[in-house]
Amino acid sequence: MTWLVWRQYRAQAAIAAVLLAAAAAVILADGFQLASHWHSILINCAGNTGCSQQASLVNGMLGDLPYLSLIVPAVLGILWGAPLVAHELETRTSDFAWAQSVTRTRWLTVKAGWLLLAAAACGGIITALTTWWSGPDNAQHASAFNPGHFDTQGIVPVGYAVFAMALGIAAGTVTRRSVPAIAVALGGFIVLRLVISDFIRQHYMTAVTTYYDVAGSFTPRGQAWVLAQGGVSTTGRVVATGWGDLYPALPAVCQRLLPGTPTAKNTSLNSVFSCMRAHGWRGFATYQPASRYWPFQGIETGIYVLLAAALIAVTFVVIRTKDA
Amino acid sequence: MSLAIETHELSKRYRRVSALTECTVAVPEGRISALVGPNGAGKTTLLRLLAGLAGPTGGTASVLGGAPRQDPAFLAEIGFLAQEIPLYRRFTAEDHIRIGAHMNPRWDAALVRTRLTELRIPLDQRVGTLSGGQRAQVALALTLAKRPRLLLLDEPVAALDPLARRNFLTTLTAAMADADGDLTVVLSSHLVTDLERVCDHIVLLAGSRVQLCGDIDTLLAEHKFLVGPRKDTAPIERTHQVVHTVTTARQSTLLIRLNGPVTDPSYQAEDVSLEELVLAYMGADEAAAGKHLTTVGEGS
Amino acid sequence: MIGFRVDGRSGVPPYLQIVRQVRQALRMGVLDVGDQLPTVREVVAAVAVNPNTVLKAYRDLEREGLVEARAGHGTFVRALPPGPPPGTHSRLGRSLARWVRDAREAGLDDESMESLLRVTLRSADAADSESEEIA
Repeated sequence: MTWLVWRQYRAQAAIAAVLLAAAAAVILADGFQLASHWHSILINCAGNTGCSQQASLVNGMLGDLPYLSLIVPAVLGILWGAPLVAHELETRTSDFAWAQSVTRTRWLTVKAGWLLLAAAACGGIITALTTWWSGPDNAQHASAFNPGHFDTQGIVPVGYAVFAMALGIAAGTVTRRSVPAIAVALGGFIVLRLVISDFIRQHYMTAVTTYYDVAGSFTPRGQAWVLAQGGVSTTGRVVATGWGDLYPALPAVCQRLLPGTPTAKNTSLNSVFSCMRAHGWRGFATYQPASRYWPFQGIETGIYVLLAAALIAVTFVVIRTKDA
Repeated sequence: MSLAIETHELSKRYRRVSALTECTVAVPEGRISALVGPNGAGKTTLLRLLAGLAGPTGGTASVLGGAPRQDPAFLAEIGFLAQEIPLYRRFTAEDHIRIGAHMNPRWDAALVRTRLTELRIPLDQRVGTLSGGQRAQVALALTLAKRPRLLLLDEPVAALDPLARRNFLTTLTAAMADADGDLTVVLSSHLVTDLERVCDHIVLLAGSRVQLCGDIDTLLAEHKFLVGPRKDTAPIERTHQVVHTVTTARQSTLLIRLNGPVTDPSYQAEDVSLEELVLAYMGADEAAAGKHLTTVGEGS
Repeated sequence: MIGFRVDGRSGVPPYLQIVRQVRQALRMGVLDVGDQLPTVREVVAAVAVNPNTVLKAYRDLEREGLVEARAGHGTFVRALPPGPPPGTHSRLGRSLARWVRDAREAGLDDESMESLLRVTLRSADAADSESEEIA
């Protein structure tokens, strides 16, 4: 059975191997150059704050690499997962395969198993390369949780790749046609990724809220993910940062003290702050601490793997119960 | 005599359409059974149900002693060849032999190679580039290599030229001779002349129902044409089953299924050929249970 | 070695065609006592017929005493079919010539004579089988 999978997918395996090798070569070359440049800057700039501008110029040639490494495994997973069952049904070779002495369950287990494994492996290699390549970039920018970074490093890309493959396989099994399956799977993949990254990710763990003096400032340590920041009053009104948003929410007595307003005479921002303080205003920041980076990576990967498992379970049920 | 296939009121409905309606058949082991019927009568559906590729919506089927099921031991005993000759077009015959070796516990690779070599079919050419007849032979050889106890063949010779058809049937009968009673074949086909020489049992479907099922010799002995002057057929109908009637102004020809001897001396009893029998029963649909009247050339 | 032909459209059951062809071969001297008939496998490979058909034909011939099956070796010719006693053909031929003259004088053409012969043969067969049933 394994031999059959190999024989059917050896062209795709060859393509994937070539693509991976080429990608690895390019990423390694660029990454080494990037790393040594960064290293020399660190040495030269030790203690010298003016270097930060120079440092920001350190950019690999492959600026958009992370996005490619995001798209390609997903697209390939769907393109090669969708025909797994659909193509056999379309061309009726399923009548040959399922007339041998192997049950449909075993047939699917071996085929899907190898493909999912391959997806995980490719995803793992890509993410390892991308994570390593992003070293200098990560050191410069406090952006671990940013979508372009969180999605392309760590372990979540493995989850995405496995999920994309499972989605393709399931779509193909349900629609029984390769082309509609690819369309459905691509659409579903994009929608789900957007929904999870934009709306659900921030809620994996209850965010931490820190309060501080209204005149002060607060930056969470490390590469934390700031979800909201601003001022909050005793009535619980939360306002975003920026005087434009803050001003309308202040009590009138404080508003009059704002420098620049007609009523303000010999006031300073400090007077505004004292007024606000007196009225119970505080600064707040709601964020996910930097220490939660790996837990979040784990949770998101787990979600995608669970979704993949559910899709594969559905595939098994459909294969077993529907007419061939 | 044990039965290779036994179904009881087997039915298959697809939403509004009934592909099979309460079909009860029995095929003894060691037979080559002809599955005959007009297009859309349910032949493919019946074969796929027996092979376990589809599930019934009513009734039961027993194949080689048990219901068709997803079980390697059962699957190994059944050989199914679908109508469209399903093969991986980009693979060679040799590739298919290797696939079969990996997917079947009993696999006679030498059988395939010998048969195909005898037929001068290249083993290392992509199957998609072979002719229809050659593909059918490859598919049949691969099905036989499983050493199944039951072969279900869905119109395998429909698209073949006469020579390819003859080769196919020869391969089939040779396999039957080699199996020495261990092989049962159900072969659906339109070509009655082929059937008569190769098959000894017949299952006839029309209008999704079973119209005829039994050993061909017995059925032919049980049916007679009664040719006689045109007159009231009620006395005949009381005793025998009238399948088909053709009347002219002066003469009646009745195809009857005997239920005892024919005592009316005005009728001449003639033998029925398999083709005539099949045509008569194929004309029977659900509404007209048995009696079909045609009037030919009034006044001739 | 005898080669068989089975005509699917002749109206005669395949097994009977084989029986008749063996009898004919014996009469014509193509097969002699002690010769081996083709094996079931050989017949089936040459002429696509059901193996059971060949087995049935050989069993019928065995029942008639013309052949015998030797386990593990094959089926062999045992005896030639009984012919009519000597002189039968010439005697019957002469009475047939007289009948043909009578029929022609009565106005029958060749086709009518053949049709009459066929009907007579059939009713003779029917009478034979009826008397077999009664017996």
